[in-house]
Amino acid sequence: MSSHYEAPIRKPLIIGDKNYHDVTVDVAAPVEGRANKQWWIAFSIALAAFLWGVACVSYTVGTGIGTWGSNKTVGWAWDITNFVWWVGIGHAGTLISAVLLLFRQKWRMAINRSAEAMTIFSVIQAAMFPVFHMGRPWLAYWVMPIPNQFGSLWVNFNSPLLWDVFAISTYLSVSLVFWWTGLLPDFAMLRDRAITPFAKRVYSIVSFGWSGRAKDWQRFEEVSLVLAGLATPLVLSVHTIVSFDFATSVIPGWHTTILPPYFVAGAIFSGFAMVNTLLIIMRKLSNLEAYITVQHIELMNIIIMITGSIVGVAYITELFIAWYSGVEYEQYAFLNRATGPYWWSYLLMMTCNVVSPQVMWFKKIRTSIYVSFVISIVVNIGMWFERFVIIVTSLHRDYLPSSWTMFQPTFVDAGFFIGTIGFFFVLFLLYSRSFPVIAQAEVKSIMKTSSETYKKLREQGGHDNHSHSEHNHH
Amino acid sequence: MKALYKIALLAVAASSLTACFNKSEPNYQYMPNMYEPVGYEPYAESAAFANGKEGQLPAKGSIPRGFTPYEYENSTAGYELAKANLKSPLAPEDIDLERGEQLFTIYCAICHGDKGDGKGNLVKREKFLGVPNYKDRDITEGSIFHVITYGLNAMGSHANQLSQEERWQVTHYVMKLRSE
Repeated sequence: MSSHYEAPIRKPLIIGDKNYHDVTVDVAAPVEGRANKQWWIAFSIALAAFLWGVACVSYTVGTGIGTWGSNKTVGWAWDITNFVWWVGIGHAGTLISAVLLLFRQKWRMAINRSAEAMTIFSVIQAAMFPVFHMGRPWLAYWVMPIPNQFGSLWVNFNSPLLWDVFAISTYLSVSLVFWWTGLLPDFAMLRDRAITPFAKRVYSIVSFGWSGRAKDWQRFEEVSLVLAGLATPLVLSVHTIVSFDFATSVIPGWHTTILPPYFVAGAIFSGFAMVNTLLIIMRKLSNLEAYITVQHIELMNIIIMITGSIVGVAYITELFIAWYSGVEYEQYAFLNRATGPYWWSYLLMMTCNVVSPQVMWFKKIRTSIYVSFVISIVVNIGMWFERFVIIVTSLHRDYLPSSWTMFQPTFVDAGFFIGTIGFFFVLFLLYSRSFPVIAQAEVKSIMKTSSETYKKLREQGGHDNHSHSEHNHH
Repeated sequence: MKALYKIALLAVAASSLTACFNKSEPNYQYMPNMYEPVGYEPYAESAAFANGKEGQLPAKGSIPRGFTPYEYENSTAGYELAKANLKSPLAPEDIDLERGEQLFTIYCAICHGDKGDGKGNLVKREKFLGVPNYKDRDITEGSIFHVITYGLNAMGSHANQLSQEERWQVTHYVMKLRSE
C-alpha cells in the first residue's frame, strides 16, 4: 500500500471510517431489512400510477389510437416524445457503466449499479411506446424478419423504425447482460449472508454459483471490459438510430444532420439528470451517503453541465443553419418554434436545457444536493419538452398551410405516460429493496486507493508517498 | 433421460396445439381484421335483402350500357321469325372461328359432339339420347342464335354463360361445322 501513488488532490470516494465489512453490511442492509412505511407509500403510489397506465393502454388498444390527441397532421406526439425521452434517460446508465469504465473513472463504481438498473427499467418503458402507438399492436411481430407463409414476406430494412427495433432490443439485452454479470459477485455476497432459506435459494439461483476464484475474477474483468467496449458504440448508435426517425425524414425541423450527436448529448444530459434525481433520494433513504458522496453528485453535475452545453450549442447551430440555409420552410419551422402557438414549450426547453445546466459553473451550486435535485428534475422536464418541440412543432406546421393544425393531448396520452412513470418506479423501488444497489465488489476494489480511511492512513504513514515509492525501487 | 422427457413433452405440446384444427370446418384465425368484407360481395348472403341474396335482379325493362335487348320472343313464332329474318351483326373481319370453336368445345360439344354430329360425350355414355346432327336439321344463323339464347326442348338457355357477341361467334362456328 505504501508503494501506491495517488495524487493527493483526489478526494476520497468512500467517506467515513469504512472497512470491507462495512461496505458489505451497508449495501446488504436495504435488502436484508424490512421495507419501511415510506417505501410502501411510494410503492403504492407508483403501483396506482402503473395500473392507471395499464388501464389507459388497454383502452387505447381496445378502442383505437384515436383515443389519443394525435391527428392526421400530427401523427406522432406524446407517444414518440415519451419513447425518445425514456430511451434518452436510459442512456446514462450505459454511459456510467461502460464509458466511465473505459475512462477508468473510479467514481462510477458507487453509481453504476443503479444507473444500469435505471437504464433497463427506462428502456422497458420506452419499448412500450413503439408497440402501443401502433394501430394494430397485435401484429407487432411483423416487424421481425421471420420466415413466414406470405411467400416469406420480409420487412424493409430501409426504415429507421425497424432499426429502432433492433437498436432497442439489442440495447436492452446487452444492458441486461452487462448489468447481471456485474451483479453476480454481489448476489453471491447476499447469498452467503442470507439467513432465511428462501432468500438463500433465491440469491443462489440469481448468483449462478459465483465463487469468486482468481480465474473467475480475471474473466469477469475481461468480460466487463469487452462489454463496456461493445456497449459504448451501442449506446451512441441507439440514440443515433432513434434520432434517425426524424433526421432521415423530409420534414423541415427534422431533416438535420446534427440530430444524431445532438440527441445522444441530450440523452446523456437527461439520463444523468435522472440518475442524480434517483441517487439523491436513494443515498438518503438507503443510508448510502458514505458511498454516493457529494463528490459523486458534483461530478454528475459537471457532466450535466457539459452535455447541457453541447445541447445548447446544438440548439444554436440549428438556429444558425436555419437562417444560413435560405430555405424558407426551415426558417419558418424555427420561427414557429420560437413564436408559434407552442412558443411556451420552446421557451421551457430553452430555459430548462440551456440556462439551467449553466448554473453548475458555480461550485456552490453544483455541490448543493438540494439545488442538484431541483436542477435534475428541471433538466428532465426540459428534455421532455425538447422532444415534444422537435416532434410536434415540426409536424403541426410544415409544407402545406392547408395541413396546419394543432395538437391537444387527451387524458389517455397523459395516462400512458403517467403509467410508464409508475411502472418505472415500481421496478426501481422493487429493485432497491432486493438488489445490491451499489456494486460492493467494485467499491471494495477502490477501498485502498480512494477511501477516506486509507487516504488518512497513507498520510499518517508519511505524506512522502513519493519518496516511499522511490525507496521501493529495486 | 431427462432430455428425452423434455423432447416428448415438447412434442405433446406441439401436437396438442395443432390437433385443434378440424378439417371439416374453417380453421382458426388470428385477429381476422379484414377477412370478412364490410362491403357487399356479389354471391354472399345478406339480411339486407328480402330473399337474402346480394345478387338482386335489375328493374324490368332497364337496359345496361353496351347491351342490345333481343327482340324475338321465346315461342315457335319467335323462332320462325328469327330463323327467317335474324342475321349476324358481326362484320366478316370480326368473325373469330377459333374463339367460336373454343366456346363451342366448352359449352356445346359435351352433347353435340366436337363435329356437331350429335355424338357428344354424354350421348356416347348414354346419359341421354336424341341429340340431332346439325346436318340433318334445317337451321340458319338466326335460328341457331335464337336457340342458344332461349334453348329449345331439352336444351336450356345459354344466354347467361355466353354474351351476345360470343353467341354469334358460336353461331358462325356451328354454321361452319354444318357445312363440313
